[in-house]
Amino acid sequence: MTDTERPGEDSGPVRFMTQHIALDYVVRVSPLAERFGEQLRSGRIVGQRCSSCGLVYVPMRAFCPMCTVAMGEEDELELADRGIVTSFTVLTPIQYHGQKERDDYALASILLEGADGTVGQQRLTGMPLDQIRMGMRVEAVWAPPEERASAAGERGYGFGNAIEAWRPTGAPDAPTAEFAAHVL
Amino acid sequence: MRDVAIVSFARTRAHAGVRETEAQLLFPVVAGAIEQSGIPRKEIGFTCSGSADYLAGASFAFVGNLEATGAWPPISESHVEMDGAWALYEAWVRLQHGDVDSALVYSSGICTRGDMREVLCLQNDPYYLMPLWADHVSLAALQARALLDTGTVTEADLAEVAARSRRAAPGNPDAQVSGDVTAASMAAEPYVVSPLRTGDCAPLADAAAAVVLVAGDRAREVCERPAWIRGIDHRIEPHYPGLRDLTTSESTRLAARHAGAGDAPVEVAEVTAAFSHEELILREALELGDTVEVNPSGGALAGHAVMVSGLVRIGEAFRQIHDHGRRRTLGHATSGPCLQQNLVCVLEGDG
Repeated sequence: MTDTERPGEDSGPVRFMTQHIALDYVVRVSPLAERFGEQLRSGRIVGQRCSSCGLVYVPMRAFCPMCTVAMGEEDELELADRGIVTSFTVLTPIQYHGQKERDDYALASILLEGADGTVGQQRLTGMPLDQIRMGMRVEAVWAPPEERASAAGERGYGFGNAIEAWRPTGAPDAPTAEFAAHVL
Repeated sequence: MRDVAIVSFARTRAHAGVRETEAQLLFPVVAGAIEQSGIPRKEIGFTCSGSADYLAGASFAFVGNLEATGAWPPISESHVEMDGAWALYEAWVRLQHGDVDSALVYSSGICTRGDMREVLCLQNDPYYLMPLWADHVSLAALQARALLDTGTVTEADLAEVAARSRRAAPGNPDAQVSGDVTAASMAAEPYVVSPLRTGDCAPLADAAAAVVLVAGDRAREVCERPAWIRGIDHRIEPHYPGLRDLTTSESTRLAARHAGAGDAPVEVAEVTAAFSHEELILREALELGDTVEVNPSGGALAGHAVMVSGLVRIGEAFRQIHDHGRRRTLGHATSGPCLQQNLVCVLEGDG
């Protein structure tokens, strides 16, 4: 019997079985992600510089994956809430059950000033979607302090809801050389 | 066949509710195993890991885990959706090719963020068993009942396994639960699913573990007392529990035979029994007599990190040789409901 069949109706051998599977997980915020989130609530983006190779990572992570050297509080540094769009996608949201988006929107990878890696999945705002380009300089649009509730980056990436979106600063675009290494 | 030895083993304590990310959990464990091995990180010829993203519900977590290995310049690596013991098996096979001499094997699992009794239902047959949500504890209870019905095992025997495992655990700082408990107290615990009581079911834990394998004489150069893999084999039974005789473990028997477990007396056996009745079935399949010490670490019943426990058993069997001077030990790992798939690894020390 299928979902659309009425009881008593016989539409022949069973060909499909619908299985609804829901698994619930507890999301636990690592101590480091909690610390990163605390700083975000105060309006600070804090990254870490590896003491061995000098690469700057944001969000914070416990170790440099290149050098396998632990990174701690002594390696922290504050980063500006400004950066360059290195790549982006304009999405047309499919209206599946549970979809909250209605209109086209853009997500981008942002290379913050001073960082050696991008932060992905960042929302862009403040300009027509067809005018977004790689190299565009952007700044953070912060949520009001009292609304920066969720600890950022439970999975270790992103800014949670502390930064609502990124808008163009109006400054001239960054030359390709400045971000070419971070496009992929 | 090339001689391959385990030269180091590192693990986290088993405990529930770990807050670190999986990669953060792995970082010190991988670093520890490599440091203890005497093999420089850049010399490692092959890396293989065992984990399952379903445990923590984090897609591609096993890819992120690679960061803990320092995979730059790029490394040759592989992954199995299995307990780390099978990653060890793949690494052992890889070393047989002769072009690389060392391998890193690691395993991680953060299973306490989800309900394993739901998650592990997804390993069942999707047509007949999945819709019943036949969880692994209930299936284990069916197996325990079948074993009790043979008349060869009593509930008191189950309680004895539960108690002995916890009494052994204080000797192991990495165990999750331990205590001076008696079989009587275990037998008085409430049923989780009859006939399995609380003590008969392993407490679930989060953990990470790693070993380094080295082939040939290099193992003796870097390690004072390497544990040579004299035999390693794994076998699998039909997927559907109803097609199997749940009172014996034919795949364990076969794996043990092909690994040469019976070629000489084994002093210590570390077996992955996440339920007390499983240990009794495994003892019989592995032909472990009364002189064999079983699970001096406390075994999985003292702390069971899904996807890691099997590698930990082999690691503990290594410790018995490397740290405690034993001559011949055995490590066992299992996968699937009711001991469906089993791996046996026989280790020997020199002299």
